Amino acid sequence: MADTILVIAEQREGKLNRVSMETIAAAQSIAAETGATVEAALFGSGIAGIAQEIAAKKLAKVTVIDSPKLEKYEPDGVVAALKDFINQKKPTLVLMPHTYQVRDFAPQLATALQRTLISDAVGFRKDGDKLVFTRQMFQGKFAADVSFACPAPHFVTFQAGAFRGDKAEAGASAAPVETVNANIADGVQRNQPEDPFKEAKQAVDLTQAEIIVSVGRGIKEQKNIELAKQLAEALGGELAASRPICDSGWLPMDRQIGSSGQTVAPKLYLALGISGAIQHIVGMKGSRTIIAINKDSEAPIFEIADFAVVGNLFDIVPPLIEEVKKAKAGA
Amino acid sequence: MLVFRKPLPNIERPQMPADVVIVGGGPAGMACALRLSQLIDQHNASHPDSQLSKENIYVLEKAREIGQHCLSGALLDPRSMRELLPGFEKEAPLEAAVTKEAVYFFTQSGKFKFPITPPPLRDHGNYVISLNRFVKWLGGKVEETGITVFTGFAGSELLLDGDRVTGVRTDDKGVDKQNQPKSNFEPGYDLQAKVVILAEGTRGSLTKQLIARFALNRDRNPQTYGQGIKELWEVPAGRIAPGEVIYTMGWPLTTKEYGGAWIYGGKDNVVSLGFVVGLDYPDPRLDPQRVLQEFKKHPFVAKLLEGGKMIRYGAKSLPYGGWWSVPPLAGNGWMILGDSAGLLNSQRLKGIHLAIKSGMLAAETAFEALKKDDFSTSSLGDFQRRVESSWIKDELWKVRNFHQGFEHGFWSGMINAGLQQFTGGRGLRNRYPSTAGYQHLKKLAELPADGGDEAHLLGPAKGDGKLTFDKLTDLYHSGTKHEEDQPAHLVIHDTDVCNTRCIKEFGSPCQNFCPANVYEMVDDATQPNGKRISLNPSNCVHCKTCDIADPYQIITWVPPEGGGGPNYDGM
Repeated sequence: MADTILVIAEQREGKLNRVSMETIAAAQSIAAETGATVEAALFGSGIAGIAQEIAAKKLAKVTVIDSPKLEKYEPDGVVAALKDFINQKKPTLVLMPHTYQVRDFAPQLATALQRTLISDAVGFRKDGDKLVFTRQMFQGKFAADVSFACPAPHFVTFQAGAFRGDKAEAGASAAPVETVNANIADGVQRNQPEDPFKEAKQAVDLTQAEIIVSVGRGIKEQKNIELAKQLAEALGGELAASRPICDSGWLPMDRQIGSSGQTVAPKLYLALGISGAIQHIVGMKGSRTIIAINKDSEAPIFEIADFAVVGNLFDIVPPLIEEVKKAKAGA
Repeated sequence: MLVFRKPLPNIERPQMPADVVIVGGGPAGMACALRLSQLIDQHNASHPDSQLSKENIYVLEKAREIGQHCLSGALLDPRSMRELLPGFEKEAPLEAAVTKEAVYFFTQSGKFKFPITPPPLRDHGNYVISLNRFVKWLGGKVEETGITVFTGFAGSELLLDGDRVTGVRTDDKGVDKQNQPKSNFEPGYDLQAKVVILAEGTRGSLTKQLIARFALNRDRNPQTYGQGIKELWEVPAGRIAPGEVIYTMGWPLTTKEYGGAWIYGGKDNVVSLGFVVGLDYPDPRLDPQRVLQEFKKHPFVAKLLEGGKMIRYGAKSLPYGGWWSVPPLAGNGWMILGDSAGLLNSQRLKGIHLAIKSGMLAAETAFEALKKDDFSTSSLGDFQRRVESSWIKDELWKVRNFHQGFEHGFWSGMINAGLQQFTGGRGLRNRYPSTAGYQHLKKLAELPADGGDEAHLLGPAKGDGKLTFDKLTDLYHSGTKHEEDQPAHLVIHDTDVCNTRCIKEFGSPCQNFCPANVYEMVDDATQPNGKRISLNPSNCVHCKTCDIADPYQIITWVPPEGGGGPNYDGM
């Protein structure tokens, strides 16, 4: 029987992760040199549609490992299901894309089978009977050759971009798809998956904001940020800050304006208690209108401000919020 | 809450064997690598049966690009370069050969020109260079030989086995402010080396570990330091000729501080100007960046710069202590080069040529050790003998007491310097003692509240935005940049000292001596003195002054994540 290379493809919420195609391409090129058979598997629940997508590629077989317990990603369940499947299938090589999800379960899977894992490989070559994989060191300055000293199955993950997904060969006809039901015993899964965490849609894209209310050290205390927030809301603008504010953790880093943060050019930039060090100014000097409120009349921000208000922002901002609200209500 | 950088404990690290690891890709480290390559090439050409490999010789450089962290005046004495690469002048990036020199003594608004240039400051035959461009070129030569330069990797720890240095651990990458691994975490490598060559520059962090571990400062004078602040200017044509060299003494310093300025004319109307202040001044309120700003207000300098534009800024420290402060240069598995060893001629204000020469001699030592496969103290100790029988020793021996003479002020220093000039460096005795610079700092209670004669040097510079600049504006022109989400690399061993003692006794001098606004006392009502130490580590320009000048010696500068730091170009 010919050796089998098993590709574990990745799907999330019913969508195929395209990087899986790169892994299929990798498996096909290894098979071209070793004469192995390539199969693919993917796990989840109710994902037959995705399996068809993969089956279009030149593969001997596609297996869907199905279980309601795999509907949401949970590493213990995945490891249990894959362990059973691999024990029964006995592939010589198991290939996976080096994704966050794979990084999460692959070490556990390899350990469960008492095997080792070569992670984040960027290539392979055949050295006699041995397959040698390449890993990068020193941020890509060096490449190290590594190979397995233990018996099969061997686990390898490939870096995204190491192979080209569009080079994955299509099959003459669709590969057979088989669904196996994974039997995951109760109590195996130690985690209760919640809904996937969504990066807060790049929470704010300050570069698109037309109005920005930005706070600096003059705001004094974290609780005073609320005041600036109210002003921003009243104006329909976004809240931003200079570095000391983000450094103190009073606002997240993605709201930082300046040389180590974002560069913005809104129609209106309202600087509250910002002295205007050059590091901040380079991030906002392109704003169309700059209004600065600062109690220090010599603050450098006034050199680039269109409107300079010398005074205590705590005296000025609350009535300003009221006026803005009134004006908006009137309009 | 401040969390400080340290290598993550209990993690598995990739191991890599090496023959030679050179820590620091400055003039010393690069000259060492290049010389070693030359010797191996010569050997291999004549010994076809016993080939030596260059594959396992590595240079670690914390800057993202070669030369990016190198800063100096700079004047190059070409002596060692002519030995390393005969005819180097034809291809090296040199700004100009020195054509004209003058030394002035400044008063507040006037000046006296020294009728003759004192011999140590005669610079005909030397070259004005930009050190960072020069090193970039030299590093290119090293890479051509096949030796690998790991840019963006810092040496974070020495690996030791008993009394033997066995290698270097590189910096952990992808660690957050709380010292926890991020998703892009990459552990530092353990480079297991036969010999580790420390060429980290002044106050090297691994050198400091080594000196402490083996008490290498025993029976030595404490090392003393200066801090150089530099600005690069573009001035209207005709102000200063390429190759024109001006030194000044006196104003704005008083007789209680040691230091002086340089002004060098480069190509394309670019002027290098800077001020070196000895880090042994008495008033903790003194701000060296302010000193440079005051210097520029002197009519002579203001006129030179009028209508010009400041284009770059930077700072570094330099070792002044001289021969009596140099630690043992080699031991079991290690050698120390250049500024890390304190090989600098403080009278001539030159160290680049000595750094290069020390790198060459270390390469010769390492080459012999590779052939014998013996890296013990007795084998590498040859480096010490090579330095002592070279012109490095001759040059440093003559000025061995120079800086010590100035510990008691300008005039006694000048008298001592004169005496030493006639006695081959001896002066009144063979070895003048010295005290560490921070011990000269006086407490606020002993100093006039208004600053007295030093008032114009104290506290932050305001800057007019044309001729003079506040510190943050200057800093912007250093181009310094770091990954923001990482632990503080300025390791303060006890922040209570900052918040309770230092603030009262010395008025938090870290805020003044740091040329990059890294240190800041921020309002905090919960503290007994109403303020608390806060750090802006990503402002750091890697000058090491805090590690040197802090009066309680509780700050240790360690390298931040590799790749971060100033972006010097033309400096």
